[in-house]
Amino acid sequence: MKKSTDADLAMSKSAVKISLDLLSNPLCEQDQEFLNMVTALDTAMKRMDAFNQEKVNQIQKTVIEPLKKFGSVFPSLNMAVKRREQALQDYRRLQAKVEKYEEKEKTGPVLAKLHQAREELRPVRDDFEAKNKQLLDEMPQFYNSRLNYFQPSFESLIRAQVVYYSEMHKIFGDLTQQLDQPGHSDEQRERENEARLSELRALSIVADD
Amino acid sequence: MEPKEATGKENMGSKRKNLTFLRPRLYMLERRKTDTVVENNVSGDQSGTLRRSQSDRTEYNQKLQEKMTPQAGCSAAEALTQEEERQMKRMMAKRSKIIKELIQTEKDYLNDLQLCLKEVVQPLRNKQIDRLDVDGLFSNIESVHQISAKLLSLLEEATTDVEPTMQVIGEVFLQIKGPLEDIYKIYCYHHDEAHSVLESYEKEEELKQHLSHCIQSLKKIYVEEGKPNLLDMGSLMIKPIQRVMKYPLLLCELRNSTPPSHPDYRALEDAFAAVKDINVNINELKRRKDLVLKYKKNDEDESLKDKLSKLNIHSISKKSKRVTNHLKILTRGESQVKDNTFNREEKLFRCLEKTVKHCVKNISFCLQHIQDAMPLTLQSVTELQEISCNKDEEGNGYSESPSNAQNPCDDFAAHLQRLVLMPLSALLALFPGPQKLIQKRYDKLLDYNSYLQRSTGDESDLAKKEYEALNAQLVEELKVFNQAARKILLNCLRSFITLFRDLMLKAQRVYSIVMPVPLFASSISEIQNRVLEEFQNLNFVRDGCSTFIERKLSFEKKKPVQILPEMPRQTDTHRSKLLSTYSAEDLYQAKRKCNATQEYDINLLEGELVAVMEQKDPLGSTCRWLVDTGIVKGYVYSSFLKPYNPAKVQKVDAENRFCDDDFDNISLFVSSRPASDSVTGTPEGSISDSSSSLSGTCGKLEVNGTDNDSFQEVDEQIFYAVHAFQARSDHELSLQEYQRVHILRFCDLSGNKEWWLAEAQGQKGYVPAKYLGKMTYA
Repeated sequence: MKKSTDADLAMSKSAVKISLDLLSNPLCEQDQEFLNMVTALDTAMKRMDAFNQEKVNQIQKTVIEPLKKFGSVFPSLNMAVKRREQALQDYRRLQAKVEKYEEKEKTGPVLAKLHQAREELRPVRDDFEAKNKQLLDEMPQFYNSRLNYFQPSFESLIRAQVVYYSEMHKIFGDLTQQLDQPGHSDEQRERENEARLSELRALSIVADD
Repeated sequence: MEPKEATGKENMGSKRKNLTFLRPRLYMLERRKTDTVVENNVSGDQSGTLRRSQSDRTEYNQKLQEKMTPQAGCSAAEALTQEEERQMKRMMAKRSKIIKELIQTEKDYLNDLQLCLKEVVQPLRNKQIDRLDVDGLFSNIESVHQISAKLLSLLEEATTDVEPTMQVIGEVFLQIKGPLEDIYKIYCYHHDEAHSVLESYEKEEELKQHLSHCIQSLKKIYVEEGKPNLLDMGSLMIKPIQRVMKYPLLLCELRNSTPPSHPDYRALEDAFAAVKDINVNINELKRRKDLVLKYKKNDEDESLKDKLSKLNIHSISKKSKRVTNHLKILTRGESQVKDNTFNREEKLFRCLEKTVKHCVKNISFCLQHIQDAMPLTLQSVTELQEISCNKDEEGNGYSESPSNAQNPCDDFAAHLQRLVLMPLSALLALFPGPQKLIQKRYDKLLDYNSYLQRSTGDESDLAKKEYEALNAQLVEELKVFNQAARKILLNCLRSFITLFRDLMLKAQRVYSIVMPVPLFASSISEIQNRVLEEFQNLNFVRDGCSTFIERKLSFEKKKPVQILPEMPRQTDTHRSKLLSTYSAEDLYQAKRKCNATQEYDINLLEGELVAVMEQKDPLGSTCRWLVDTGIVKGYVYSSFLKPYNPAKVQKVDAENRFCDDDFDNISLFVSSRPASDSVTGTPEGSISDSSSSLSGTCGKLEVNGTDNDSFQEVDEQIFYAVHAFQARSDHELSLQEYQRVHILRFCDLSGNKEWWLAEAQGQKGYVPAKYLGKMTYA
């Protein structure tokens, strides 16, 4: 998640750089039309950058942080599970012991030990069961609540993206309107470029391949 | 046949098979109306002047003598004018001959062109052979034809119905010189290439067939007309060039044979100059092209060896001269030839190059970043989506759209590549060529500069010509280059912007699809905090919390200690029970905390009182003793125990009680989790796992409760007794080892800093400061 925000930022930075370089180019001094166009482009890029930054911030706030918080609940969950595991182990052990004693002949010390073992077993068993129940109750609860938890994040993420992109679209739409030659299709432009290039190649001063 | 026209021609009519010779007489008659005397003589003489061309003088002398003899009375002036007139006549005769020649040749030329077009060019064109580039061979021969026709018609217009005295051929040429120059320039420019193209075609059998076929048909026609001097295609192609070179010659001759009084003289001079200029221009054009080609070819594919082989005295001297000139210009700022147009164009050129380079670089960076960013975003969205939706729900519908969205990014990349990056890179590749030429031009400039200072001569002329040729060529073409480059650049930028916009649109659409319909008005943080609070209510979180802290504090792995958590600590009641139950010598005290390691072992806290029941274990070893802690019975290693000293009971009691109090007081626990501030933890029993020193534990427990502040305040004034101290009076307070006390004042009533007022267990008293140590929490 973090990577994507970083990448977004990098992208807008590079876009701004394009326009900055263009602007700083001395070509602008000579050519008024070019200058206008580049200034407009520059403005657009800067706005895009600002928007991007905003978007990233928002995402940070509403998605990344909650994610982190949510994630921090997990260790305790793990811990609880582990403890349950341990309780289970103890329980089993004691159980085995009890059974062992039960199998032995019923002599005095054995009986005493058996009794003692049973005594020990009981609290352990109770503990284990308590833990188990607890986990059983709570884990589904936890799991289900994640839906509620993440829905808002998700929505905000999507919303942020939508807003950002629509904004961008508007900006660039304006930009293309502003500059002349709107509405040239791709093929047209390509053809034009090719024509110019071949014109250039026809010049004698240009090196032939 | 008008008399005038005929006479005009026939005056010269030596080589031409022309008409009657009687006309001159008539002409002369008309002309010399004023001079009746000479008439007869002259007319008589004319008959013998048919084929004369160079023999003017002798005949002239003859005539003169004839004139002189019969008319001895004629004045010298008369004789002179006679001569002049004769000269005039001759000139006019010559003139008309030349004009005739001009028109005739033009006609022939036109005819040739016509035939060429009809028999060669058009058939070839119609055949549409693939590799035969008719335009490459003949370039603008149609235009040549046209202009020749025009010229001819103009000439005829100028000479028909116009008196020879009024014929102004020069005007014709002046009129037509503009288009003439342009058209012939183009043709000549392309002629060289056409020639080499023709040669390449000759090598290929098939094409050669076609060509010779056409030539054959053409030859046939020529033979019919009686002009079997057509050699081959090459000679056909070179005709226009020959023609245009002929014009100056013809005009020169015409001018020379035009008497100054003739109205045409002026015009002819101008026309001659103009036509000569045309030729010069064409030559210069050719020179420019040659130069450019030469230098273009020079720099391609040169290996070091080639370069070395080119080094010779001449080139070295040339180069060194240039370097010195360059330095001269830099340092002394000598007057030099400047061409502002060129400088401007060059500057523009360089700017463009830089711009294009930067554009390419930046745009490709941007593209890369976009390609990185968008898929990542999509991925994270998908993942989040998976978390937040139940798999059973319409997760299927959702999962489709994000994967589709990968495509706009790829599309964008492909389009960008095609529309923007490729043209720009191609453009960039075109820049180095002109660069080199600009460099060469500079060299030529230096050469020219160096010659400026010296006297003019052939070398300097050459240098000048070369420089100017190169300069002109560069200026012209750089203009075009710059313009085209600029257009490409602008185009590309526009495409880029449009693409960008489309990308945004697509992305927006993608996300709109995925977006769930209801947009919450409430803020997100509220919802999430609520959920988090819910979590905290969950039991295991609470437990988890404490477990978490345990982990933090204990740094030990949890051993399967089953008894300890259950075992409450020894309370006073237990101890008193022990004490009462067992005799003194059986009572032992745990020296330090011991953990149960084997079956039936018990855990002991330090200082706990135990009663030894047996000093051996079932296995018979005397290391382990069976002890009774009042709560449970179990085995403990004897080394852990030391005899219980009733004198220390109080201390122990106090200690224990202290701890009890402390334990009881503590209701809150250390919370290391930032999110939950209100987690409650129970310290029951689990605290005992921690540090070895009881007092240390006590200290820790006090930290960070809700009563944080008060506790902390108190904490700072809690000291513990390093040594036991026996109070000797009422003012003083007895201390047990490790007993904790609150310090109320750090000095006594008299200000003695060595005695501190301490409080412990509700009693106050003074204790020596040296016996106290500050509590440090582990």
